[in-house]
Amino acid sequence: MVTSLLERELKRGSTEVLILALLDERQRHGYEISQLIEERSNGTITFHTASLYPTLYRLEEKGLVDGRWVERAGQRRRRYYRLTRAGRKALAKQRSTWDTFFLALDRVAGVRHA
Amino acid sequence: MPDWKQRLYRTFEANGQACDVDVLEELSTHAAAAYDTLRAQGRDASEAERRVDDLIDVWVREAADLHRRPKRASSIPPPAAGGVPLAGLMQDLRYGLRLLGRQPGFAAVAILTMALGMGATTMLFTVVYGVLLKPLPWADADRLVRVTETRQGRTGRVLGTVSNGTFLAWRDHRSTIEDLGGWLTQTATLTGAGDPVRVAIIPTTPSLFPILRVRPLIGRLFNEGEGARDQPGLVILSYGLWQERFGGRSEIVGHLIQFDDKPYSIVGVMPREFAFPDRETRAWTAWSVPPVTGKGGVLVGVIFRAMARLRDGTTPAQAAAEATSRARSAPDMGLAARALFGAVGAIDVSAVPELQAITADVRPAILVLLAGVALLLITATANVASLQLTGATTRRREMAVRAAIGAGQRRIVRQLVIENAIVGLCGGAAAVALAAGLQRLLPSLLPAGFPRLDAVALDMPVLSFAAAVSVLASVACGLLPGWHTRRVNLVETLSENGVAPIGGAMRSPIARTRTLIMAGQVAIACMLLVGAALLTRSFVSLIRADRGYDPVNVLTGRLPLPPAYPAERRSQLLEALLDRLRVVPGVTHAAYSTGLPLVSSGGFSAFNMRSPRNPDAEIEVQAIQRFVSPDYFPAMRLRLVAGRTLSDADTAATPPAIVVNRTFARQYLGDHPLGFHIPQRGPRAGGLRFTDEHADCEVVGVVDDMRQDSVDAPLQPEMFAPFKQIVPASIGNFDPILVIRTTADPTTYVSILRGLVHEQAPALALDSVTTMEDRVMTSLAKPRLYAVVLVWFAVFAVLIAGVGLFGVLSFSVAQRTREIGVRSALGAQVHDIVALVLRQALWIVGIGVLFGLAAALAGVRLLSTFLYGVSPHDPLTFIVVPIVIVAVAVIACLVPARRAAKVDPLAALRAG
Repeated sequence: MVTSLLERELKRGSTEVLILALLDERQRHGYEISQLIEERSNGTITFHTASLYPTLYRLEEKGLVDGRWVERAGQRRRRYYRLTRAGRKALAKQRSTWDTFFLALDRVAGVRHA
Repeated sequence: MPDWKQRLYRTFEANGQACDVDVLEELSTHAAAAYDTLRAQGRDASEAERRVDDLIDVWVREAADLHRRPKRASSIPPPAAGGVPLAGLMQDLRYGLRLLGRQPGFAAVAILTMALGMGATTMLFTVVYGVLLKPLPWADADRLVRVTETRQGRTGRVLGTVSNGTFLAWRDHRSTIEDLGGWLTQTATLTGAGDPVRVAIIPTTPSLFPILRVRPLIGRLFNEGEGARDQPGLVILSYGLWQERFGGRSEIVGHLIQFDDKPYSIVGVMPREFAFPDRETRAWTAWSVPPVTGKGGVLVGVIFRAMARLRDGTTPAQAAAEATSRARSAPDMGLAARALFGAVGAIDVSAVPELQAITADVRPAILVLLAGVALLLITATANVASLQLTGATTRRREMAVRAAIGAGQRRIVRQLVIENAIVGLCGGAAAVALAAGLQRLLPSLLPAGFPRLDAVALDMPVLSFAAAVSVLASVACGLLPGWHTRRVNLVETLSENGVAPIGGAMRSPIARTRTLIMAGQVAIACMLLVGAALLTRSFVSLIRADRGYDPVNVLTGRLPLPPAYPAERRSQLLEALLDRLRVVPGVTHAAYSTGLPLVSSGGFSAFNMRSPRNPDAEIEVQAIQRFVSPDYFPAMRLRLVAGRTLSDADTAATPPAIVVNRTFARQYLGDHPLGFHIPQRGPRAGGLRFTDEHADCEVVGVVDDMRQDSVDAPLQPEMFAPFKQIVPASIGNFDPILVIRTTADPTTYVSILRGLVHEQAPALALDSVTTMEDRVMTSLAKPRLYAVVLVWFAVFAVLIAGVGLFGVLSFSVAQRTREIGVRSALGAQVHDIVALVLRQALWIVGIGVLFGLAAALAGVRLLSTFLYGVSPHDPLTFIVVPIVIVAVAVIACLVPARRAAKVDPLAALRAG
């Protein structure tokens, strides 16, 4: 039970930082985000599309990302997300938290991080 | 390709899950993209579809989390808690602009109302500033004073003048003033510089220019001692005349020109900006004030305008006291003084600051109009504030929410003030544009002779005033609704449904404030309407006033004669002209005269004679004296009171005859004026030499009094003498005035008259040819202007009040829909509902009218000096004005009342 709760928290926290990191580069739509996570992790993070959108909406609600509909010629209307200033700050903070976390894991459990 | 949106929707619905349209669309684009990718990877359609369907199943399971929630309040920047006052200003500004953009109708009405109110105010302020406040263009102009002399309280025959006796006595012994300058006004025919032309010239003492502290552009000014009668003529040209007639050539000094055939040597040219006493003046000639005792001991009396420059530290009162004491010790001008002032007796000299003196005539009117425009501005501002209050009612929820998420009172008020500032500044800009347009029209709108018109301009002080007014008005408009948001209660506001409780329409503070504003607007409209009605009635009385003559169908014109024109030749020319005119079809009478009302008095006379009542006593007579041809009486339709008028039978061969007016007869001749003999012999001022020098002249007739200029000026004693009995040379130089009575429109005779003059004397040209009616209307230009302006103000004020009332009632009906529904359901008839609305309207209007009339009654005192033939408390005006206001109110009520009558009780109750 405890493990599953931790897993869920971990997953949730990691999903957030993954999304924020991808949006840090440029604005993207939901499908692109899900594809990129899968591609860049070489398929190791089979990321459930189910949690992508609730996460995006939560981030939007917190004011960390900003979503808006964009229409481009010859393409279907898509909702693009970009990082807000608050999102950028949150990303920096999360990155440093993860850094500390991996360092601790390394020291305690001998888990190396790249 | 499947319709993913449809499929998503159905799947969600089939599983009892709802999903936002927005989210549904986003998921469907994801589904479509996934399907495309799978197909591109080579999967067949059914495989790809199955995989995407799996994805949709996952989403449906997580549906509880698939909701986009509104952003948190924290994304709205918190109000700057007094720290940085301007934080969020741009945001408020953008919001205000967006808000106005969303309500273009409201924005247009508000901006237009403000533009109108402020445009009129700015326009009037340009006049107030330019005419009354802007310093005169001379150095240390506040030390310039206009000098005026009165004798026994009577001013000179020409208003605002001094006599030569007083002028010289003061100038020779002055201590309070640096110097004293005097000038006459004349028109003369300029020759020797292109075609002959009539120009306005000013003979002036050399001292005048140094008093004004001005320098010539080229050449020099007059030197002390120049301008005496026996010296050659000297002239200084205006810039305009120099450019027009001499092409701006600089070697002009020393060149000779002629005014009325007398040569003048040009000594200088004044700069372009120099205009004295007005822009019409084209040249200044050197003139010296003649001494009271002329050659051979003859007494000489002249009246002219004069100005002095005070020494530093002296006051106008000190100067006036010194002038009075010097004037009282001046040589006695005898009968000349009586002829010129209509009185002999204690001399008083006044010294009034120049600016005050030249604007005295128009100052009270401008100030009254300024008060009128201030009322208009108040009512326009109140209208916008009232509109804002309506907005404030419907925006209570917005304000409540803003307050709840942390916006402070100051922030909310600031938002409202900024919204109004946008309206105010737009209105202000439109007002300046309006004023700029009107200002171009000003010269054609204002009567001729309106002082300082060239000083009226949209300059910095005026623009600053307009900016200040627009900012103040917007702040006033914004503070009122802002003040009402003070007490906005979130829970109450959000829980109420925007419909007033029964009977509550007037109970809310906003409704009460609007009612008050409305009553105030009605009161202002009422005041302005009373003023406009009184001035209009007064103007009509002025037109209809009995002037003692009939101005309809009379053509008049002046025939300027050169001074060298021989007196005998003059009589021949005029008689020949009359003979030709009399045979023109449609001309019933043709005459000439030395004087005509509204043109020239003709001349003045003063002499002593024995009293008709007491043969042992001598009385002092002073009168206007004019020489006329016999048809003058029928041409002007003067009413004969007794005896006969002059006729062609009065010639050099018959005993001298004169006709006097009723005032002369009453003042000097007693009950039996006819047959009285007025002596020719003895001392007299004002030449009246009959060909029979020894005979007394007999009063043969009395005519009714004739108003010379304004109808409210005191009546003057007058004498009419026949040209044919007078020694032509004794009349001296004068420009005869032709008077022609016609049966039809007199303007059609202008070319005939000009043609006849040209035929008789090709070298002469008629001057100021116009109908007598036009002269009367021109003399009424100022009262007409004041009436027209005030009527416009009143019309706008009534319109604004009407629109305001319409707004208040429409709003009230909308708010009371439920109440009206309940009343209808309980059996109220249509007329009861209409009466309900009307009652509310009449209640507001009643209070407004009551206060308006009371204020008007108190305020008409200001108007009383402008009124003629109508009492300031004119009952008709005070009865008709409320009727007009009530009529406008009823019209304003019609639409809201109809709307109220059409309220469907069922719908209203259901909505409630």
